Amino acid sequence: MSISADRVPQQTPSETKRRKPGLVGWVVNRLGMDDTMEDQYNRVVPFHATNYVYCLGGIAFVLFLILAATGIMLAVYYQPTPDNAYQSVLTLSTHVQFGWWIRSIHRWSAGAMVLLVFLHMLRVFFTGAFKRPRELNWLTGVALLLITMGFGFTGYLLPWDQKAYWATKVGTDIAGSIPLIGHFLLVSLRGGEQISAATLGRFYDLHVLVLPALILILLLGHFFMIRRHGISGRL
Amino acid sequence: MTRSGFLKWLLGIFGAISLAGIVYPVLRFLKPPAALSGAIGQVANVGPLSGFAAGQLTTVAVNDQPAAVQNLDGKYTVYSLICTHLGCVVETAGDAFRCPCHGSEFSPTGVATRGPAKLPLPTYHSQTQNGSLLVGPIDLSRVPYPGWYKGEFS
Repeated sequence: MSISADRVPQQTPSETKRRKPGLVGWVVNRLGMDDTMEDQYNRVVPFHATNYVYCLGGIAFVLFLILAATGIMLAVYYQPTPDNAYQSVLTLSTHVQFGWWIRSIHRWSAGAMVLLVFLHMLRVFFTGAFKRPRELNWLTGVALLLITMGFGFTGYLLPWDQKAYWATKVGTDIAGSIPLIGHFLLVSLRGGEQISAATLGRFYDLHVLVLPALILILLLGHFFMIRRHGISGRL
Repeated sequence: MTRSGFLKWLLGIFGAISLAGIVYPVLRFLKPPAALSGAIGQVANVGPLSGFAAGQLTTVAVNDQPAAVQNLDGKYTVYSLICTHLGCVVETAGDAFRCPCHGSEFSPTGVATRGPAKLPLPTYHSQTQNGSLLVGPIDLSRVPYPGWYKGEFS
């Protein structure tokens, strides 16, 4: 069966002008994205922004990518049940080849990401980059900071050791101290009045499903708005 | 070869080496360790069951490591004889364990009862087959924290 000539897609003007070679070109030519891509590549970083403090957000994003990759790997061996959680982390760190390495990268990158996101926020604050018209991106950033800390809080419980248990006890108690909605928050986080198997299940769900989905959506918006607004002016 | 062509090759080679440095650990990571795969792992045959008198501890060697077989009415348990204090070889007397270095003593179930040792003696996975006792790796469910039994992953 052959495709009739009139059903072959017409070439876009830009495509007839200059066809890109190579594998990337094969895709780009078919999407008619030459101009869009060119526009993205040809952006000039303003001189005042060629400074390491303007790299903090980017470093935080690289850490996020590392955390996603190592987190997916940890989930191969981790078992989110009270009976098996601690032992599975132990086995992962002592018997799985390079398991200690993957887990250490995840652990240290997690701490570094919280730090980097916070420093990025300080840079944006002290350079006044949150001002009109960038208020919405500031708010997105605040949400991203909270999500990052949510990752830290939920991930902390997963090894299911004494430190994890009591940190979660204190953390959820603090949520419970909020007037009116406190008790609802507490039982929603714990899956009951006490920390139990339900708590571990809920925290695992938040850590590997809910928060990753949220952070991806917000990161997309964050980056889109950076491109839309451009880098803020110099001080 | 042009200079830029050479540099491209060089970049490609370094890139491939860097990539291999990531891919190799990931592939090793995905391979399940013997302790988890359900198999008993490296199995050592420590001899016929008739060699282990009931109610007694019989010293054997498991992969060149000192161990003792306990026979409690046909239930065989294999204990590591490496003291959980500082790693001396624990001596057996009847059904009891005693370390000659610092006087740590362990109950017939391997629990530390006297002396400086705090942690129980580890046990090996074991099973009987055709009248012989087969011994596998250390039973991980009794390992209290990483690095305790160093011989297992050194």
